[in-house]
Amino acid sequence: MPTVRLRDAEEYPESTRKLFEVAKAWFKYDFAQPPAMSRVMAWDPELGGFHGRAMKRAMAPGELTRAEKEMVAAVVSGVNACAY
Amino acid sequence: MADDAPWYEAALLVGVTNALNVVADAPLESLEPASPSAEAQAVFAEIRAFYECSNVPVVFRRLAADPGYLADVWGSARRAFADNTLTRRIKEALAFAVSVTTRSQFGTAFHLGEMRRLGVTERGVMEVLGVTQMFSSYTKIADTLQLEPDMGHIAAVDLTPAPGGPAAMPRGPAAAPRPPEAP
Repeated sequence: MPTVRLRDAEEYPESTRKLFEVAKAWFKYDFAQPPAMSRVMAWDPELGGFHGRAMKRAMAPGELTRAEKEMVAAVVSGVNACAY
Repeated sequence: MADDAPWYEAALLVGVTNALNVVADAPLESLEPASPSAEAQAVFAEIRAFYECSNVPVVFRRLAADPGYLADVWGSARRAFADNTLTRRIKEALAFAVSVTTRSQFGTAFHLGEMRRLGVTERGVMEVLGVTQMFSSYTKIADTLQLEPDMGHIAAVDLTPAPGGPAAMPRGPAAAPRPPEAP
């Protein structure tokens, strides 16, 4: 169980909800509710905005493909023993 | 990468990388034989050829007192890092990411060197480092709040059998377990 109550998208201010649209476009998936991590990052849009842009920049295709970068992300998450 | 094969390969690579790093980073200098046996030297020759280097990485030198064990560890490492479903280049990138994340001094330096040797530029290194840093952030945020996985259902499922196994499992509703029959 999360240690905080995850707010539904509708509970966020209009200005913040655009971050959820970015997440939907990023994953190319129409979530009933944005992923928990998106909703956590949106708690502080000033932090979440910078962090999200850094993440998108890091994950954008470059010398490595997006798929290769997803695999890097997966092994980092794995060795961090993160189930999420 | 919808197929499972690259993910199995990546997981095996992570395990082998960590196995090499734990021995290389430990204070085990005294284990390195001053005069490795001919059997160990033969394995060393394979290692030098694989990495195109004159120096055998320290982790293998420390295993040389048991040449049979050294040969088997090297065999698994060579298989883990060789071109297969995943290229050697991306495997070195994964090993670098794992080594940075686990704070392995040996692994970070070694796999950084291998990435560069295999043609990854500084831009490519920064890309791997960026992904490593970003996901080292997300994982700790998720763990701190004990977030539960909520995106597993969007991933594709690979129903093909294990390599060399019998025919693929049936797909679709027929693959679902049948409910118990009424008495």
